[in-house]
Amino acid sequence: MKLSETATNSLFSLTSPAAEFRMSNAEIQNPKSQIRNRHGFYEITFEPLDVGAVARRIVPETCGATVTLDGYVRRFTKEREALYLEYEGYEPMALKEMKKLIGQAHEQFEIASIGIVHRLGKLEIGETSVVISVAAPHRRAAFEACEWLIKELKRTVPIWKKEVYSNGEVWVEGEKQSAEN
Amino acid sequence: MKVRVLFFGATADATGEREIEIDLTDSTKAGNAFERIVREFPQLEKHSLLFAVNQEYASGDEVIRNGDELAVFTHVSGG
Repeated sequence: MKLSETATNSLFSLTSPAAEFRMSNAEIQNPKSQIRNRHGFYEITFEPLDVGAVARRIVPETCGATVTLDGYVRRFTKEREALYLEYEGYEPMALKEMKKLIGQAHEQFEIASIGIVHRLGKLEIGETSVVISVAAPHRRAAFEACEWLIKELKRTVPIWKKEVYSNGEVWVEGEKQSAEN
Repeated sequence: MKVRVLFFGATADATGEREIEIDLTDSTKAGNAFERIVREFPQLEKHSLLFAVNQEYASGDEVIRNGDELAVFTHVSGG
């Protein structure tokens, strides 16, 4: 796995062979907490997410399919009605864990590139909280990798959501499965 | 030696702190450090907790060094 060799901790890396990615000026001007290398990119943002932009950013010409998960804020959870959600993250560790997931996914699936963006802060109902895009030569691997990535993200990446109701609020605590390894 | 301890979400609410500094004796193991933190903030006991040392999940066997960054938080719920 060459991920650790090519990844950097700089906010925005153009030292890797990034020419295969198409970048707009807006992306170049909005490099907050973004890490990018030849296997993909991952970042944290406090701004609204453009789902399509994430998907387009990862596609090399060898690919025939991109699967994108658009995860957004649900109003009802177990019949409780949320007014809005607040996401908080342990940002440097969250980025490290996202980087690990990208490396592990490349080891397990025949995929070309991955984009993961998680939003933090206050999110209204229906707003996108997480986008995961996976491009692959063939669709099956892209679907499988995308499903694996969101499952693992929800298990290992240190981000928490607080559901705010009309009569209170509660931090959602994830399932008690080991997040180690 | 001194280390920083970070809290997030539910553990920040429970302790009323986002970051504290604690004094530990040299070569304390992570498990002992975290036991001490939970003793200091017993309100954490009702949560199922995860621990990290220097932004990596900790098993408890890690030897803590001066200036390390510890973190105590609940099972994650992003996505």
